[in-house]
Amino acid sequence: MSFVLSLLVFIPLVAAPLVYLATRWNRKGGIYFSVAAAILVFLVSAYVFWGVYSSPPLPGQYSFVEKSTWISFPSFSLNYFLGVDGLSSPLLFISSLLTVLVIFGSRKLIDSHEPEYYALIFLFEGAIMGVFTSLNLILFYVFWEIVLIPMFFFIGVWGGPRRKYAAMKFIIFTYAGSTIMLLGFLYVYLGMLTPGSAPSFDIPTLAGHIPVGLQYLPLLASFIGFAVKLPLVPFHTWLPDAHVEAPAPISVLLAGVLLKMGGYGFLRISIGLFPNASAQYAWVFLALGLISMFYGAIAAVLQKDLKKMIAFTSINHMGFVLFGAYATLISGNLLGIQGAIFQMFTHGLAVGSLFMLSGYIHHQAGTREIPLLKGMKTTMPRTAAVLVLGSAAAMGLPPFSSFLAEFMVIVAGISAYGIAAISILVPVITAGYFLWTIKRTVLSDAEGTPEVHDLSWGDVAAFAGYLVPLVVLIVFSYLILTPALPVASYLRGPG
Amino acid sequence: MVDLLTAATALLGATALLLPLLQLRKGGKQATAGYVLAAVLGAVMGLVGWFTLHPTPVPWFGSLLSDDQLGGVFALVTIGVTLMVTIASFTYQKGPNTPVYYSLLSFTALGMLLLSYSQNLLMLFVAWELMSLPTYVLAGFDKKLRSNEASVKYAIIGAMSSAIILYAISLAYGLTGSVQISDVVSGFRAQPTALAGVATLLFVAGFGFKMSIVPFHMWIPDAYEGAPTTITTVLAAATKKAGFVAAIRVLLALTTLYVVTQNPYFTLPNILAVLALLTMTVGNVSALTQRSMTRLLAYSSIAQAGYILIGFVPFSLAPASGAAALGMTGSILHVINHAVMKGVAFLCAALVLMQLKRADLGAYNGLAKRMPVTAFTMAIALFALAGVPPLSGFWSKLLLFLSVANGPYGWLAVAGILNSAFSLGYYAWIVKRMYADDPDSSERVKEPFWFVVVFAVAVGLIIGIGLFPQGAINFAAGAVPQAP
Repeated sequence: MSFVLSLLVFIPLVAAPLVYLATRWNRKGGIYFSVAAAILVFLVSAYVFWGVYSSPPLPGQYSFVEKSTWISFPSFSLNYFLGVDGLSSPLLFISSLLTVLVIFGSRKLIDSHEPEYYALIFLFEGAIMGVFTSLNLILFYVFWEIVLIPMFFFIGVWGGPRRKYAAMKFIIFTYAGSTIMLLGFLYVYLGMLTPGSAPSFDIPTLAGHIPVGLQYLPLLASFIGFAVKLPLVPFHTWLPDAHVEAPAPISVLLAGVLLKMGGYGFLRISIGLFPNASAQYAWVFLALGLISMFYGAIAAVLQKDLKKMIAFTSINHMGFVLFGAYATLISGNLLGIQGAIFQMFTHGLAVGSLFMLSGYIHHQAGTREIPLLKGMKTTMPRTAAVLVLGSAAAMGLPPFSSFLAEFMVIVAGISAYGIAAISILVPVITAGYFLWTIKRTVLSDAEGTPEVHDLSWGDVAAFAGYLVPLVVLIVFSYLILTPALPVASYLRGPG
Repeated sequence: MVDLLTAATALLGATALLLPLLQLRKGGKQATAGYVLAAVLGAVMGLVGWFTLHPTPVPWFGSLLSDDQLGGVFALVTIGVTLMVTIASFTYQKGPNTPVYYSLLSFTALGMLLLSYSQNLLMLFVAWELMSLPTYVLAGFDKKLRSNEASVKYAIIGAMSSAIILYAISLAYGLTGSVQISDVVSGFRAQPTALAGVATLLFVAGFGFKMSIVPFHMWIPDAYEGAPTTITTVLAAATKKAGFVAAIRVLLALTTLYVVTQNPYFTLPNILAVLALLTMTVGNVSALTQRSMTRLLAYSSIAQAGYILIGFVPFSLAPASGAAALGMTGSILHVINHAVMKGVAFLCAALVLMQLKRADLGAYNGLAKRMPVTAFTMAIALFALAGVPPLSGFWSKLLLFLSVANGPYGWLAVAGILNSAFSLGYYAWIVKRMYADDPDSSERVKEPFWFVVVFAVAVGLIIGIGLFPQGAINFAAGAVPQAP
């Protein structure tokens, strides 16, 4: 039995207290230690990613499987059950990559309670690795909830002026959503309970065996849990608050990692476990995804705060994930799910870079208000260059692979319903507001005598960590799409 | 091997009787009483623990007491909480009557120990009184107006509940000619008369006062707030649990209500389910509006009693079913977990009250900067109370909700889960105050060594049971009473 996935989960969890002690003892040493630990996790996840790519598991199968009994009790048992496939391996890769970049960026942007901060980052990372690898519903739920706790503290302790409100709103929304999700899991479990059979919470055991009649309520329950995380309009109202108040590195984790939990949950659980009910109501989800895409794009146009604008871009981009996933269910066109997985990957990097950048801009210019940021081309030329590149990535401009992801999703949407072609307008609006923002901030003239506060070259190099993979992946897109293919064909079902 | 239990009883009794002699010594020497009691309680825990792990079915004191694992679990929990409180009291309890304070605690511990093992209604009643009477005095130990008010209120309600229990016992004796619990049960089953139904309801009410079940809960917030907070810890985490063991032993055996009234709705499972729902909901909703930490924890304690009661429902419905075993395991596990979580939360409140002289929620603003260990412990305890995984409270709640989710009481599981989600609102609110809000002054406050020791052990238990629940689940499952 492999133990690689346990390493992914437990290296961060073990590192968390060590990082705390190290950073208390010596700030600089602690941060170096954090970066080293994060890079170690990244290397392990890269190994997993490569393993899944080089021999993708068959549809419905998983690689690096670990299974052992965790709790056993008559009439109730739980397995510690981990595994990866082409859906989870890109998410593991991007989560661990973003953790490295976030720690690197935090050294300048976070200046209070550092030991606690870096320890919580690792608690968060360990829990996220657990969410993306768990193949047991209760284990999944446990990790899912652990994610909340560090995020609550990140927003509440290190956040902006309205941080307390945002933190409470975040935890109440997401906790309410996830308890309803748990209800759905219990409903499935008890519904599968027949005399003489050993019921199970294991996803591979349940998948394909849940009777259609048992799928509707849990689909609704899991929908609520995941829609809050994704977030889907109208469950999204916590997100702009959380993003605006969270410190920039944490916004990167929120957008790049936490929102992916929602998309992952839709694919792995809503579609994976409840395929018939999902297929029956696929048009509803498709429509909701489309509404989210348009709502996010249009609301972003109206924002004055750069960070809030990026936050709405997240809603817009995550709408693509849902749209693509359910387009495949309707049309059978596998590009939808492949595109959704790809979109989660590219969104994490593109929007992650912008959030991190917004933190630097706030740090350097003292404001994030778009109308007040003038003449960045002269006051902070390097920052402006990165902003233009990041915006290009976020609006889906080739050669950034976000283009490919959105393209695939839209193609699948059109093959589902011709009318879905209006989704092509979303990237247009997105491009519109990003270009308008660039015009106002970068290309305008500075007022008064410009003072130059710019990124150091080291920080610019860190942004390469976000943007280079995006460029590389438009050429080597098969790295993600090949392992995603069996997942997509499995989720589509035989139809 | 039963001698171990006899030894434990004798040890506690002797300590209780001899400790007041330390009053004769002058000055700081009186604190010795606390160390003595802690050592004795530790020894008793060792004896009971050894016995529970290596049980031998030998009759004990005739048939007044039984030596089963159910008794063992509750004895360990109640003695454990008393030990926690004793250790915390080293620094909390100062003043001239310190040895008497510890002596009374010792009497309470003895009462709870005997109550856990009682198999006879009269033995149960005597133990009940031995447990309760010292706590009436302890609740008023501060000699402040509030504390005395709490004490009087608590004593009056306590006397009333004792009277109700006694009346129920007298009915049971009159109907069956015995005070042995097993005889009463078989007698009630053989002849389910209307009076037997009345006796059952009286037992519900009498135990309900200690268990803080709505509508017998009104004394809880006042008494918990007025009593010295260490004593509140005993009330919330220990004597309340003793109420539950009495209820498990007596109530669950009595399923005669339906037979008596022939009314399909007026059955014991239905009554327990409604009480559980009311208790959870009233507790959580009231906790949300509190402005004082002790009152908030008191209402949260009421809500937790509601969760524990959920496990009684499947057991009273069909005692031999798998759901009943699951539910009762969940109840017993939640008793264990709640004793740790709520016990340590009250001790945190006690420390804050002692050091900052404030109990309002404002005192908790920015506590993480002033008392980091206390704030961390409190945060862990509160998240565990809310049932956030992977802390211990999650598992017992999961078992409880699972046990009722399939069957006629599915709505109770839904209500329980929604209540949990709702309760995070006020628990997280406290955590927010401690970590996100700014304190009045940023001066570090001393956190006494003995409190830190207790906090560390409790946090270890909460996280340990959370990550590796199998051992605790087995322990609780072994204590589930056999179906009659």
